[in-house]
Amino acid sequence: MNTKKIMECEQKRFTKLINFRLSSKFMSVGIAIGVLSIVLMFVRAFALEGDTIWLKLLVQKTLLIGMLIMSISKDKEEDEMVVTLRSQSYAIAFVIGVVYALVMPYVEFGVDSVVTSNVSEFKNLGDFQVLLFMLMIQLLFFHNLKRYR
Amino acid sequence: MVNTIKVERAILNLTQDDLAKKIGVSRQTINSIEANRYVPSTVLALKLSEVFGKPVNDFFKLAENE
Repeated sequence: MNTKKIMECEQKRFTKLINFRLSSKFMSVGIAIGVLSIVLMFVRAFALEGDTIWLKLLVQKTLLIGMLIMSISKDKEEDEMVVTLRSQSYAIAFVIGVVYALVMPYVEFGVDSVVTSNVSEFKNLGDFQVLLFMLMIQLLFFHNLKRYR
Repeated sequence: MVNTIKVERAILNLTQDDLAKKIGVSRQTINSIEANRYVPSTVLALKLSEVFGKPVNDFFKLAENE
């Protein structure tokens, strides 16, 4: 295989990866996983007793998986405009997510200090909180951009 | 970018939905293009040109400030 063919092959794979989307049927699968995860979160918090940290971590992961499936599922009428709107929503979510990850620890620290009136420990955000926020922003912006197109 | 797609569509007596089906996009996309909220790709512009039987320049024009 010559260099040109290798480059073409790589380019094809790269394009395939960029254009990868799940079928629109997966949207309801994602919603179901997300809703089930939220319900399980409430059940764990209010109905279960004992050491359930493992369940908390598991449910956090399934919630993110559900939202990711929703995020990469095709629209019912997927055309080039929807693809553009989706790209815009990812860009907005990325920027807002970075700002959130930078600013939110200071906000939490400030609020903690005011409410508890003693100097609390400074904590960075966890990966779950940042990823959940970014996915939420992406889905919300995508939905709104579609609504006002 | 300004366009006269609405006029071209009226000449052919097509609804937004008819035109959308002909070029394989959603009705909302046609609506957005007509309202100058979305600039279509070259592929879509050429598909429109095929439907209207006119060159792209006839119904897409640059705005004065572009």
